Amino acid sequence: MTLSDQSNHTQTREYAVNGLDSPEPIPTIPPDQRADPAPATATPTARRTPTATLREQLGSLGSRYALIGVWLVMAGFYGVIMPDKFLSVSTAQAIFGSQSALLFLAVAALCTFVVGEFDLSFASVMGLSATIVPVLTALHHVPLAASCGIALLAALGCGGINAFFIVKLGVPSLVVTLGTASLFLGLAELISSSTIVSVSNPTFSNLALRNFLGLPLSFYYGLILCAGFAYVLTWMPIGRHIVFVGANREVARLAGISVDRIRAGSYVAASLVAGMAGLLLVATVGGFDPTASSSYLLPALAAVFLGTAIVSPGQFNPMGTFLGIYFLETGILGLQLLGYTGWVQDAFYGAGLVVAVTVASVVRSRTQRA
Amino acid sequence: MSSTAARLQVRSLNKTFGSVQVLTDVELTVLAGEIHGLAGQNGSGKSTLIKILTGLYTPDPGADYQVNGQPIRLPVRWQQVRAAGISVVHQDLGLLDQLTVAENICVGGFPTSRVTGRIDRHKRDQLAARTLDRLVVELEPTRLVGTLSAPERAEIAIARAMRDHAKGAGLIILDESTRALSGDDLTRVHTMLRRITADGSAAVIISHNLTELMDVTDRMTILRDGKLAGSGLATAELSEEEIARRMLGSNLAQTVARPPVPATPKAPTITVTGLAGKRVHDVEFSLAGGEILGITGLPGNGYEEIPYLLTGAQSARSGTISTSDTTVDLTRAGVIGCLRAGVVLVPERRDRDGLAFELSMRDNISLPGLRTRGRRWYVGHKWQREDADSAVDTLDIRPRTPSTLVKQLSGGNQQKVLLAKWLTMGPTVLVLHEPTQAVDVGARLDILHTLRRAAENGMAVILVSSETEDLAAACDRVLIYRASTGAIETAVRTPDGLINQIYAVEHQSAGSTS
Repeated sequence: MTLSDQSNHTQTREYAVNGLDSPEPIPTIPPDQRADPAPATATPTARRTPTATLREQLGSLGSRYALIGVWLVMAGFYGVIMPDKFLSVSTAQAIFGSQSALLFLAVAALCTFVVGEFDLSFASVMGLSATIVPVLTALHHVPLAASCGIALLAALGCGGINAFFIVKLGVPSLVVTLGTASLFLGLAELISSSTIVSVSNPTFSNLALRNFLGLPLSFYYGLILCAGFAYVLTWMPIGRHIVFVGANREVARLAGISVDRIRAGSYVAASLVAGMAGLLLVATVGGFDPTASSSYLLPALAAVFLGTAIVSPGQFNPMGTFLGIYFLETGILGLQLLGYTGWVQDAFYGAGLVVAVTVASVVRSRTQRA
Repeated sequence: MSSTAARLQVRSLNKTFGSVQVLTDVELTVLAGEIHGLAGQNGSGKSTLIKILTGLYTPDPGADYQVNGQPIRLPVRWQQVRAAGISVVHQDLGLLDQLTVAENICVGGFPTSRVTGRIDRHKRDQLAARTLDRLVVELEPTRLVGTLSAPERAEIAIARAMRDHAKGAGLIILDESTRALSGDDLTRVHTMLRRITADGSAAVIISHNLTELMDVTDRMTILRDGKLAGSGLATAELSEEEIARRMLGSNLAQTVARPPVPATPKAPTITVTGLAGKRVHDVEFSLAGGEILGITGLPGNGYEEIPYLLTGAQSARSGTISTSDTTVDLTRAGVIGCLRAGVVLVPERRDRDGLAFELSMRDNISLPGLRTRGRRWYVGHKWQREDADSAVDTLDIRPRTPSTLVKQLSGGNQQKVLLAKWLTMGPTVLVLHEPTQAVDVGARLDILHTLRRAAENGMAVILVSSETEDLAAACDRVLIYRASTGAIETAVRTPDGLINQIYAVEHQSAGSTS
């Protein structure tokens, strides 16, 4: 992420609040009405015990991870009614091994949501990138690595276009990304000339499909991506800035954060991750029909919103998205094993999205602690 | 007049948002045929009151709300209130320029053809003409509103509100509707209002312009901090100063003695020169580290801009601020430039500009320090925890758990978090705007006390406020800003004296103080 570094800031200043605790009473304010001079050295744990009881902590843990409980109940249900089919290693592999491109796509959506922005074009960016690679490699004989690089550059360009119109010119993001979604899709169809080409390169496929501890490598890429994103958001200054831009743009601006740089960066990062999702698709499937891009939009959004009900309730968070993807896939795979096919996927994702947003907003209104 | 029931009567009105009580035992009685003024500062609860009357907010249980003697069922449904004869003239009049006078008047009640359900244009124009006739306004119903003058537009908005009221009935609420008008235009609208109320209708007028309220109203209700500071007072027996005193709440019993003048005046290290913004100009002053400088002025005269101009939150038309280390050009610096010079802002609107309500106290307090105190790849949580714990202790923030979300705190505690957020950074110059607005007395004292201590530790504090008590209690020196003279230091050090100065001098135009 290159949108960081505004470290041309003041030197670390003297820590003033500590120093404020001067013992001398102020003539203007009656001493008996002053804040009671609690010792500043008391340990945080000692202070927290009276209010944060064990029960409260368990309660907060419960609301944080309620989704996992639902997940277990759902898996238990499937396990009871079809123990042979559902309770097998291959089912687990099908759930956790097949969703990496979708996870990358959901993380792309998350990039803009965490800063309070909105992007509809990420699925088309994935489609564009997944079309560029096989077309360049198979039809124009460009080396595979080079075509992957070109695809990622194209994705970056897409993000740049979004950022330019939304952040620089101030056009509403809904309009811009709805338009660019169609535009990028059209470009993908143009270069694919409506024929689906595929690329078969075992080395490339192995990068995504090689088995490691029972799961394909692509699963671990998704895990690393989400964990890395979560690290950035919670442990790096730039990540905390992003969270504040998402929570209250004006507060962030008045704290000296370059809000527009972060907003623009979020669109570029989103498109880059969507481009990577495209590469992952090519590696696992070989080729891609760009017109199928839009079918990836809703599942990715559903997972992102579902993720707000877990880990840090009420907030967009990467680990929540990670769990959300596999939660949804568990539900769908179970239904498919029961014999429902085709329509069930759309219905489940759609209903899942509505339920997820409802649950998240209920959880949000009850949240009292971070 | 007294034999009939009041046009509007509300009693025992309370409203709490979360843990914050914004209205406490408020009452409002408007009689037939009167123009009733509603005065109060920003945040005093005026708009909350109106929003309850019109059904946007639900009051706390126990409120009594009657129109023409008929009780209104709670929660308020606007349809019922409207049918009972109450209508509102919107703040910015709510007119569409591209439509005709008749279309604007009849919106929400178009006469339709019974057969097809489409708008009957002929009847619509008739209805508009009838309404205008009744109000003695001479305007063609077919004219485009965009071509009308300012007072004519106000008349159209009032006509819309009066459309469904019979002659001599109904009550209209003007919520800052006249703020764009002045001089003859304002008089013209006032004359119209008097004509309407002379027949028995009633009007409630909300305005920041005290002269206007003095001119046009029969009685007044004044709010301060969500409580009554005067209920149904006869305007004839009030003076502008008296209204201001009640609005700003200078209660002699609460007055605290001024701080002693510092024994050794320190050399000024902070200098502001030639500051001008959208509305203020000629603001120049200097202060030393360790000093608290108050800035005030007539509400609405533009002095409220000063804190935002000083800290780069709004770019100035001209002006610089110099500290002992550096000089900042306020036309270009922006927030980042000012922060770099150690000039920070505690803004008035903690909900909009000050704090992220959905995040925790600790997150909010550590925001300004992320860049300087955290490392680039690892922000570190120890210092964040220490800062938050120390803020909780020194400012006595309740509850004492820094992981509490800001939205859960009371107004006073939110304000303390906002103060702690910027104090923790150890700024050179701390600029505050209305830091004690809508906080309780205890929190107010804690906040003023904290400012005092910050100053004693060498910080330069600039307190921009309309609370004359705060200024008198906490400040070493006070500047009064007037459009005619710019910011000028005053020698007066009592809350009452400051109110007199703020009002008196604005009326005299020339500055003969100090």
